[in-house]
Amino acid sequence: MRLRAAIVDTPYDADGLRAPPRKIIHCDCDCFYAAVEMRDAPALAGRPLAVGGRPAGRGVIATCNYEARAFGVRSAMSTARALRLCPDLVLLPPDFERYRAASRQILDIYRDYTPLVEPLSLDEAYLDVSGVGRCRGSATLMAQEIRARISAEVGITASAGIAPNKFIAKVASDWNKPDGQFVVRPQEVDAFVAALPVDRIFGVGKVTAQRLHRLGARTCGDLRAWAQADLVAEFGRFGAALYRLCRGIDERPVNPARVRKSLSVETTFSTDLAGLDDCLAALPALVADFQRRFARLDAPAPVAKAFVKVKFADFTQTTLERSVTAPDPALWPVLLAEAHARGARAVRLLGIGVRFAEGQLEEGQLALFAGDG
Amino acid sequence: MLLLNTTRDALLAPLQSVAGIVEKRHTLPILSNVLIEKQGDTLTLLATDIEIQIRTATAGHQDGSDTAITVGARKLQDILRALPDSAAVSISLDDKRLTVKAGKSRFALQTLPAADYPRMNLPDGDVVRLTVAQRTFKRQLAQVAYSMAQQDIRYYLNGLLIIADGGELRMVATDGHRLAYAASTLDNAVAQRTEAILPRKTVLELSRQLADNDDPLEVVLAGNQVVFRFGAVELISKLIDGKFPDYERVIPQNHPNMITFDRLPLLAALQRAAILTTDKFRGVRLVLGDGSLKLISTNAEQEEAVEELEVDYHGAALDIGFNVTYLLDVLNNLSSEHVEWRFNDGNSSALITLPGNEQFKYVVMPMRI
Repeated sequence: MRLRAAIVDTPYDADGLRAPPRKIIHCDCDCFYAAVEMRDAPALAGRPLAVGGRPAGRGVIATCNYEARAFGVRSAMSTARALRLCPDLVLLPPDFERYRAASRQILDIYRDYTPLVEPLSLDEAYLDVSGVGRCRGSATLMAQEIRARISAEVGITASAGIAPNKFIAKVASDWNKPDGQFVVRPQEVDAFVAALPVDRIFGVGKVTAQRLHRLGARTCGDLRAWAQADLVAEFGRFGAALYRLCRGIDERPVNPARVRKSLSVETTFSTDLAGLDDCLAALPALVADFQRRFARLDAPAPVAKAFVKVKFADFTQTTLERSVTAPDPALWPVLLAEAHARGARAVRLLGIGVRFAEGQLEEGQLALFAGDG
Repeated sequence: MLLLNTTRDALLAPLQSVAGIVEKRHTLPILSNVLIEKQGDTLTLLATDIEIQIRTATAGHQDGSDTAITVGARKLQDILRALPDSAAVSISLDDKRLTVKAGKSRFALQTLPAADYPRMNLPDGDVVRLTVAQRTFKRQLAQVAYSMAQQDIRYYLNGLLIIADGGELRMVATDGHRLAYAASTLDNAVAQRTEAILPRKTVLELSRQLADNDDPLEVVLAGNQVVFRFGAVELISKLIDGKFPDYERVIPQNHPNMITFDRLPLLAALQRAAILTTDKFRGVRLVLGDGSLKLISTNAEQEEAVEELEVDYHGAALDIGFNVTYLLDVLNNLSSEHVEWRFNDGNSSALITLPGNEQFKYVVMPMRI
């Protein structure tokens, strides 16, 4: 255990010694679903392509290739809108079996380098390669080799960020996307993060970013002018995290055994929603976002509960849960109506999610049917 | 308007047959109710949760007029249970209230119209009929039902596969880690091989209600539904629409090693070893050597249990782990004196069978400990 409480500049280990910087790689496949589709049907390469739901069923785009992005198509956009932007868009329904197979192949490649692999979803993972001897111990060369192997063995491209912690590695993997990588060395962290816009910090969404802008903080460097106590007074517990993240400090370990306990999505609205009807109207976008993320989980544990979270304009909040076995689209409006009735005021934030059953997937238990978790 | 003159017991028994499937919470308020229908001298009670519907019909109710109404199932059941055993009970309907009278007790209950009550009807189409003794079906269910998955995302595992094939009725259940298979012989062969997955709740309800005698159980499979008729009960259930995994592929055919155990001593030893396992980790190691089997369990506090059994085995040594629950389940649900255990190595499944009996098989995958 590291001492965390008051130390903000450099982490110390239990003996009070400075711990050496870690080497974290964040690997992120480029437009993963679309890349798998193009690999399996080479005739599609070069054409704008998206994987997603049908426009008739309020479908949304899960992923699109770079040709489609040139038309302004983005993931989480409604399919109907994407087709207006790009009428020649090739739209394919998702085939998660093939995506999972590719994802497993990629994880096997990662595990050739380190057992410390934490998958975030089918197409993203953190690797802790501190102390790994391969490639003369160079994380930069390891990332290069891993990306070359993904390309040769799986037939798709990936981008990577290499940094002393998860936060910066994740930002860095976006820097030279697609099919590229970017290194932030320990001595470069300070300058790199100082120039970073505040909305690159995870947890800073549209609404928090606007608030920070109003307070005069556009970059992480601007934010450093704030005392920790002031940030906590303004943003609560999240203020303490902001204080550390804007200095490039993130000590979260790469956890290969992380068991996901829940999955949820939430939105804070720039203008409060007046009544239940407005809330219900805001629900489909949230549900689409949730379903997109739910589908990306690799072999999720059984679902135990569905919940709706409502934060009212006066910052009181309520969460309503119901036992379910699978996320049922018809359930969300029912839960929302019931949760809203508890406050019956204007609403500033809505969230939906599921909690997974615990202790169902025992570690070490072998499966009867090949291909199961 | 008088509906019925009867006794507490004559009404409570059929009510308990139907009310077991009524869920505590739902979106449709009327689903908390039981439908009571009087026609001629027949009293019909019916309950549903939309997936399953249970109906009982009893004759011999001379008094009272023809009508149909729905009333809270749990309340009516609680009231009848609390009355003296053979109390005379009269039920009447006055201005949308159902009045239950017994001696000096009187309850006025709110009702909902019978016309609004959802009913399941059997579809026309291909129909397969079987008739088996209730005892046989019940016993076969007991041999496999404990292996069904519960709330698994692979929804088709949250149920039990039945296959009628020629003169044989097979049942299979699995949660993906272990699988139970049981077969029985049909008196009348079916013309066409038929498969169906019964939902978990239907299986548990049947296990609860079937009798331990040779009275007939009629099973009718039609489209995506199944009907079970036994005694005064008719149970209609939806079937799970999905593809059950290929169970035959995972039943090992050629495991080279076999040990015969006395069931009860093995069960008792496993129960003792299980004491030191935890809810989170149920692993027990089986260490097989020349003439001896050790069952070893340890926990996070470094406590250890060791049980030793003498066995007639002189092959290669083996060290294999299992979830002890999966072993206790099968040993608890069998009634034979001996069980046979076949195995290959520490990474392959174990097969548990009954001596001289091809009709039962249990496959369990090991755990890496």
